[in-house]
Amino acid sequence: MQARPSPNRLPPSSGLPHALSSSPLPQPQRERLRNGVPLVQLDLPEAPVVCLDFWCRAGSASETAAESGMAHFLEHMVFKGSSQLPAGEFDRRVEALGGSSNAATGFDDVHFHVLIPPEAAGEALALLLDLVLEPRLNGDDFAMERQVVLEELAQSEDQPEEVAFQELLRRACPNHAYGLPILGRRGSLEAHRPEAMAAFHHRHYRADRCCLAVAGPLQHLDLIRRLDDSALADLATATAADTLAPLSLSSGDTTLELPRLEAARLLMAWRFPGAADQDAVVGGDLLTTLLAEGRRSRLVERLREQLRLVESIDLDLNVLEAGCLVLLEAVCEPDQLEAVEQEVRQLLATLLDTRPQEAEMERARRLVGNGYRFSLEAPGSVAAMVGNSALWGREHSLDAPLQWLQHWNGERLSQELIPLLAPERAFTLRAVPA
Amino acid sequence: MSPALEQRQLPGGCPLWLLHRPGPAILSAKLWLHGGSSADLPGRRGAAQLLAGVLSRGCGPYSGEALADLVEGSGAGLRCEASEDGTLISLKCASDDAALLLPLLLQMVRSPWLVDDQIDLERQLTLQTLQRQREDPFQLSHDQLRHQLYREGPYGHDPLGVEDELPEIQRSHLQELAGGLGQQGSVMVLAGLIPDGVEELLLAGHNGSPWATRASDRRQGPRGEGSAGLVSCQDDTEQLVLMLGCTTAPLGSPEALALRLLHCHLGVGMSSRLFVALREENGLAYDVGVHHPARLGDAPFVFHLSSSSERAGDATAALLDEWQRLLEQPLSRAELDLALAKFRGQEALGRQTSSQLADRLALVLGHGLPADFADRSLEQAARLDPDDLQAAARRLLGRPSLSLCGPAAALREAEQVWREHPLSGPTTG
Repeated sequence: MQARPSPNRLPPSSGLPHALSSSPLPQPQRERLRNGVPLVQLDLPEAPVVCLDFWCRAGSASETAAESGMAHFLEHMVFKGSSQLPAGEFDRRVEALGGSSNAATGFDDVHFHVLIPPEAAGEALALLLDLVLEPRLNGDDFAMERQVVLEELAQSEDQPEEVAFQELLRRACPNHAYGLPILGRRGSLEAHRPEAMAAFHHRHYRADRCCLAVAGPLQHLDLIRRLDDSALADLATATAADTLAPLSLSSGDTTLELPRLEAARLLMAWRFPGAADQDAVVGGDLLTTLLAEGRRSRLVERLREQLRLVESIDLDLNVLEAGCLVLLEAVCEPDQLEAVEQEVRQLLATLLDTRPQEAEMERARRLVGNGYRFSLEAPGSVAAMVGNSALWGREHSLDAPLQWLQHWNGERLSQELIPLLAPERAFTLRAVPA
Repeated sequence: MSPALEQRQLPGGCPLWLLHRPGPAILSAKLWLHGGSSADLPGRRGAAQLLAGVLSRGCGPYSGEALADLVEGSGAGLRCEASEDGTLISLKCASDDAALLLPLLLQMVRSPWLVDDQIDLERQLTLQTLQRQREDPFQLSHDQLRHQLYREGPYGHDPLGVEDELPEIQRSHLQELAGGLGQQGSVMVLAGLIPDGVEELLLAGHNGSPWATRASDRRQGPRGEGSAGLVSCQDDTEQLVLMLGCTTAPLGSPEALALRLLHCHLGVGMSSRLFVALREENGLAYDVGVHHPARLGDAPFVFHLSSSSERAGDATAALLDEWQRLLEQPLSRAELDLALAKFRGQEALGRQTSSQLADRLALVLGHGLPADFADRSLEQAARLDPDDLQAAARRLLGRPSLSLCGPAAALREAEQVWREHPLSGPTTG
């Protein structure tokens, strides 16, 4: 419902797969513009709209300390117009063509996407590239949009669950960008200037840090010809590559009293291999599904269905470049919190001792596989998946995750991934009503 | 490019619509049953959703665990939820698993177990959810406005139920409700790659015996019951949440289309009037928009906004002025054209997946409207002019209520602005 959301706590898990046994999957067509920018196209002839998705390695992890919140603030400012387009003109034109647009900033990257009827895709592409590559960053607009970003920050601070997650990441990932808020610190936001934002844009929106993904009915689009004359093909290469520090997670625990909290939360975070290891990402998806997806998953069955200690329990793999984060959230009555934590620890300890049964592995494989196939139906989710992969230099076929899925069995999970979920490796945060 | 539509009927009378869609071997099935939370009896509000929640906790030959094993073991999704006007059962699965899973839909409806222990669990989870929702100031403001607009009427409570009344709901009440599922109207929609012989599969759980039901017809849904006014709740938040709204008209009614275009104009996309006027030009909010769900009865039409406490007065005045503007000033031709383009665009955007296709068709048919309702609406909308929209606004949006949630000082400031604004009317405040 919100326009231009920034990611809730973390960027959406960028790609786990799923599947149905039969029908062949469409294959991405990969090309490069003359300056090396990757272009990935995926033809979905039955889709009613095309998704154009521009990706850039300019998430909050690319900020210096003084730039706190700049990546996300820039995402907002991009929509305030370019040298060619006055503020608001992009939205008006795209929406008059029957389309819609949005953007999201994560720790690692940012993307801007447009969903548009196929006949208008060419025009929308030209508008999108103009907007993203040549933002105007006008001073008055900048001051106004800062208010909007501060409102966004205030809105998230009024959700105690968001506050608890932010604190979890701050404590679990000290000295790392993943421990800092994507929205930025209030003081930094108030100090930002358009010139500093222009410098940030200039540094990161470069040929070797961007890509474009397009999914939908593509028959008449002839993209490469259009793009070779565009500003995207003129983009220069970055002068210095920035390197992302690997994530090391601090184990430990804390208790936080929060005003306005109605139910207690148990939050836990673990570090998993980074997104470059896609095979491990698929394994991580299997493991979290086995543990917490559906009534027959171990955690849900034990804590919600049998012991009835929690309203809900979730375990999500957040796919990130410097190291994935597995995050657990259990929602319960405050007086049950201790019992919930004890049970979670016990259940994980048992998992470390005995490898998963083939039946639960197969259930998890089916859920993960089908989820992946289902996600390939919508142009927006397909474009996001192939766009994110191309941005980080991963060029596997759409079938590959389904094949990796088949190579995971209980024994491999026990050897390679389950040890990473040991309770003593986690950072644990208990949030209770103040 | 649009999927081939086929109309059939299940033995016993349930309309069955098939949307054949080439492509991935995915199947989405939706069974819409007339009667949701608006049919909850006083003293047992929450019964429709409680029943929906336990339908998947045992049915036909399957215990709750066995059912979960079957569904999750096939990597499928099965949900059942009550909304205000209906109860919707949704299945999404690989087409290859249709033979295994399609029989479940009617088994849930015709032979639910309704085990006491599972009812208690579902009830406890619902109570916890209602409690947790109070953490969200938008939820508080929304609940308060709903009560102002619909009082104790059928649309007056959260479909999840009322905390004091949920404990009063007994198994016998749910049994009675389950016996009536679909008797007031139902429709089944399948979309995607659909296997042959689906009628047999759908009835396979009962050895092919017909399911006696009927199609949904047009009927009057619940009315708005409140009077215009101001409601506030104090909460120790940074922002003030404002919701301004009133009750309007049912989906498919003569004025509903004009309202839908006003919705597009005001709240759809980043070029929408509220987004531009409140956010882009004044920086008063991050989240601003219009809530106007499709309903069988008098649907709410609500502006929503959250703004820092220190700007409570400005935000309130700006929001009220936008509403007043609708009553006083017709849209320009260019504004109406943009609204029409968004209306068409929303239709295309809402048809991306098999589930979306099935969902939209089930909603329309469940409301007793024709299958080509969306296409007809697009044609009719193109014939409306700015005066039609203004006339609808004047008739239906004349006296909104304001709901506020936030810190005391912000409430005082906003209330002051409301009292001095023409929309609060001569008798209010």
